[in-house]
Amino acid sequence: MGCYVCCMPLYCERSRNSVNTALPTTPLAWVNGSDAPEKPSLDIGFMALTDCASVVVAATQSFAQPFGLTLNLRRQASWAGLRDKLVSGELDAAHCLYGLVYAVHLGIGGVPASPLAVLMGLNQNAQAINLSAALQRKGVTNPEALTRLVHQQGARLTFAQTFPTGTHALWLYYWLASQGIHPLRDVSSVVVPPAQMTAHLQAGRIDGFCVGEPWSADALAKGQGFTLATSQSIWPDHPEKVLACARGFVEQYPNSARALIQSVLAAARFIEQSQENRRSTAQLLSGSAYLDTPVDSIEPRLLGDYQDGLGHRWHDPHALRLFDQGRANLPYLSDGMWFMTQFRRWGLLRDDPDYLGVARQVQQLALYREAASALGVPCADLPMRSSLLLDGRRWDGSDPHGYARSFPLHALDAAPDARASH
Amino acid sequence: MLRILLIDDTEKKVGRLKTALIEAGFEVIEAGNLSIDLPACVETVHPDVVLIDTESPGRDVMEQVVLVSRDRPRPIVLFTDEHDPDVMRQAIQAGVSAYIVEGIQATRLQPILDVAMARFESDQALKAQLLARDQQLAERKRIEQAKGLLMKMKDCNEEAAYTLMRRQAMSRQQKLIQVAEQIIAMSEMLG
Repeated sequence: MGCYVCCMPLYCERSRNSVNTALPTTPLAWVNGSDAPEKPSLDIGFMALTDCASVVVAATQSFAQPFGLTLNLRRQASWAGLRDKLVSGELDAAHCLYGLVYAVHLGIGGVPASPLAVLMGLNQNAQAINLSAALQRKGVTNPEALTRLVHQQGARLTFAQTFPTGTHALWLYYWLASQGIHPLRDVSSVVVPPAQMTAHLQAGRIDGFCVGEPWSADALAKGQGFTLATSQSIWPDHPEKVLACARGFVEQYPNSARALIQSVLAAARFIEQSQENRRSTAQLLSGSAYLDTPVDSIEPRLLGDYQDGLGHRWHDPHALRLFDQGRANLPYLSDGMWFMTQFRRWGLLRDDPDYLGVARQVQQLALYREAASALGVPCADLPMRSSLLLDGRRWDGSDPHGYARSFPLHALDAAPDARASH
Repeated sequence: MLRILLIDDTEKKVGRLKTALIEAGFEVIEAGNLSIDLPACVETVHPDVVLIDTESPGRDVMEQVVLVSRDRPRPIVLFTDEHDPDVMRQAIQAGVSAYIVEGIQATRLQPILDVAMARFESDQALKAQLLARDQQLAERKRIEQAKGLLMKMKDCNEEAAYTLMRRQAMSRQQKLIQVAEQIIAMSEMLG
């Protein structure tokens, strides 16, 4: 037999010598090699955001080695680029917006429909909606003042998010709508890459934005605005980024996919094992190869220590969750379905998809459960979870069709041009 | 004459590409650095083709352009740094096919692609998979060795040794292998 690590019997020292000497001390059937990764070296894409932590720690701190994998980190400059490389196979897997996976799978956006898969959740919470310092000076520092301003004649505010079908667009839309502001009609919505938000704020081109950390904390640190609402105040413990890959990858390399889940899950568990590990993680992420941002913009919110730029400080009980005993990682079907209900609500989907059927195809629940149990990470029995969102609506995955139609503000029958307004 | 919108917001110098395209007989309009203005720019310029770097952060903005105008799409051509024409073709298959409208024939796009490819041909070597695999094995042995040394020095178990090494590595923005090498070097020096 060849070497399970490198599949190269001729070149591998291990297979020439003894197969057993350096075997990893992991469970599973490593001993007879049946679960060996088919592809031992994987290219993993990520965007410079705090919630890529588990992926970066897994790759740099050798969490994949015991499973016979090498993870090569590939930082991406845009979500569209990351998506194209996932679809083309240039990236084997990536840190990805939950909504983006479903948009590609359903063919919403710039590429034809292409089957993708969610291997696991990477995190919950830790995104935020922020307003500019100019609005702050005008006294627009609470939702009521913002709503009043938006409904005044002649005031047309511009809000930025990070991708048309991404989570930030959907948190922004959901929050604005919950305040009686129609996100596609009452305000302008534009896309701005995360790291450029502060520059656009400073130049007065945008009045507010929804983005992942550290870019909210970074804007505050630069005196460029304040945090009006955290994403966890919209939906405590909401799904956010996932580890995504092309469906073909899971089909062709199931063992690599399982080993990848185990590596990233082990890294997530390690990060949340102690405050000291969390702090070291913030240090690592601030490096130029990863977020390239001062650790002061990363560490506080990673530890749950929030301040909003208006003088309020609090310890957030629903701050960034990378692991939470596996609760942040299980790819619930209801989580995936929620994004489809919002695409339908805002007219990005013109018809209802087969919500449950699509979620079953995309969410790799069985593979995740195998990987998690091998690591001793607990898994919920049910594929759905029930959540209460800030507008008082409960989402439990039981009636996606009705849920998508239950909102007073929507764009269910939108003409194509109303989809992203200008 | 095909009108090309050239989006120039990465560090690469696209000057020669622009000249080459103009010499090839295309009308070239350059979009500035402000990707936020792209949707408006596309609206006013009405380009036949949009040229954008695959590494450009502005690509997410173009994504919005595509969504807004998905009933009247425009071809978008990516230029990449990849040396391999297959990779280029893959990128086009993945990202661009949807943008190409009936009216524009692939043959008319070809000269643009040729020019873009010629300009952005890079000498970047293809990944040497063999080398990577050898390195993986070597690194793994070194980490195991360092862990063993640390367990002896600190009289701790395997997990504790790994945690110590990882915290050290992360705090210094290093990889685990780098800290492993430092431990081995130190231990060799102390003999």
